[in-house]
Amino acid sequence: MAGAASLRQIAFYGKGGIGKSTTSQNTLAAMSHYFEKNIMIVGCDPKADSTRLILHEKAQDTILSLAAELGTIEDVEMEQARLWGKGLFDQKTPGGWINCAESGGPEPGVGCAGRGVITAINFLEEEGAYDEEGLDFVSYDVLGDVVCGGFAMPIREGKAQEIYIVMSGEMMAMYAANNISKGILKYANTGGVRLAGLICNARMTDKEYDLALELAQRLGTQLIHFVPRNNIVQHAELRRMTVVEYSPFSDQAREYKELARKIVYNDMKVIPTPITMDELEELLLAFGLEDEVDETQVGKAAEA
Amino acid sequence: MFVLGFHFPASMGNHIPDELVAEKIADVDISDVKEIKLLMGTKERDKEWLSYTNKDTFLFRAMVHYFKEENPEKTQKYMIYMNRYQMSEISKRVDAADDETMKLCHNLDSMEQFRIEVA
Repeated sequence: MAGAASLRQIAFYGKGGIGKSTTSQNTLAAMSHYFEKNIMIVGCDPKADSTRLILHEKAQDTILSLAAELGTIEDVEMEQARLWGKGLFDQKTPGGWINCAESGGPEPGVGCAGRGVITAINFLEEEGAYDEEGLDFVSYDVLGDVVCGGFAMPIREGKAQEIYIVMSGEMMAMYAANNISKGILKYANTGGVRLAGLICNARMTDKEYDLALELAQRLGTQLIHFVPRNNIVQHAELRRMTVVEYSPFSDQAREYKELARKIVYNDMKVIPTPITMDELEELLLAFGLEDEVDETQVGKAAEA
Repeated sequence: MFVLGFHFPASMGNHIPDELVAEKIADVDISDVKEIKLLMGTKERDKEWLSYTNKDTFLFRAMVHYFKEENPEKTQKYMIYMNRYQMSEISKRVDAADDETMKLCHNLDSMEQFRIEVA
């Protein structure tokens, strides 16, 4: 099994809408381009947007949609489900390469997306995608929170070993980060999954760095990087490109390069220590994200 | 664990003592630097130059190290947000007695973008 001994399986988790797919694609692009790492992205989000910037496409055909179209999963060919990255990330281009697969998901309101994720991962394993010569990293980009056990599949099945949580200095993002840590804790002893760090995809709110750092320390992990907000990310996305390709010498490309370097050399993988809801609220109060509640006013309407 | 871009082994945990970070930059040559110039801001009309000359601080040494690293041409350099937040974080503990440094830390803690030059 080529490269299997050193293959690292990482995953990006975080609240819906936090910028996981954008952050993961830009970071993986930097890992490939600047550090010559060979990567397979497995998108685990039914909206299938985990690979579009690497493929320069709107959305690739998902493994589940191909199976539905062709009849069964056995009818799907690897060449249909797993595509080579375009431009800098093509296998024929010097440097690292990236290839891409998307699990897809059921129709909204029907079925279990988590089952789709595991079907897709099993398909890729059986077809030898994990045995690709020179493969250094497999990266899972996973939708939302792990409150739904389905989305914990890459953790539960022991696929993703190294979890990066994308968050920001907003309450719900921090709530989700803490929940994901609870999910990791649950499977840490049986499957060996570890929390490898928080990535703050900044909203540029007051004290955001301090808040993200404090949460990381309380969870027993590190704030591995603070990614500032920059319009160039959106400009690149309009061309369905990562910043690394769109503007490789830009300030934002330097930020992703630094995050990529840290992930490549990261050895800090811990069993997280999630905090209670009360502790989370105290943290938000301490950093001014929530106002102290006057208990005497709870439930009272505004005065005319 | 990464502080100012330096890698500290995971066995050291997620609280790296300031002295160990200071050790990493102890050898940087600051003798040829009289002044650190920081360009603060993103929008052209709002940009502001800040000057910092207090050589006896952790912050000065950390900034000179950042500027010189992989910069043989000594050209103006973008400051990675995380690095400058960490510089400020440590400086507020170890340079706390210096008002000029604390004032600069206040600026570094902002959401503004910074570029660094030395003279």
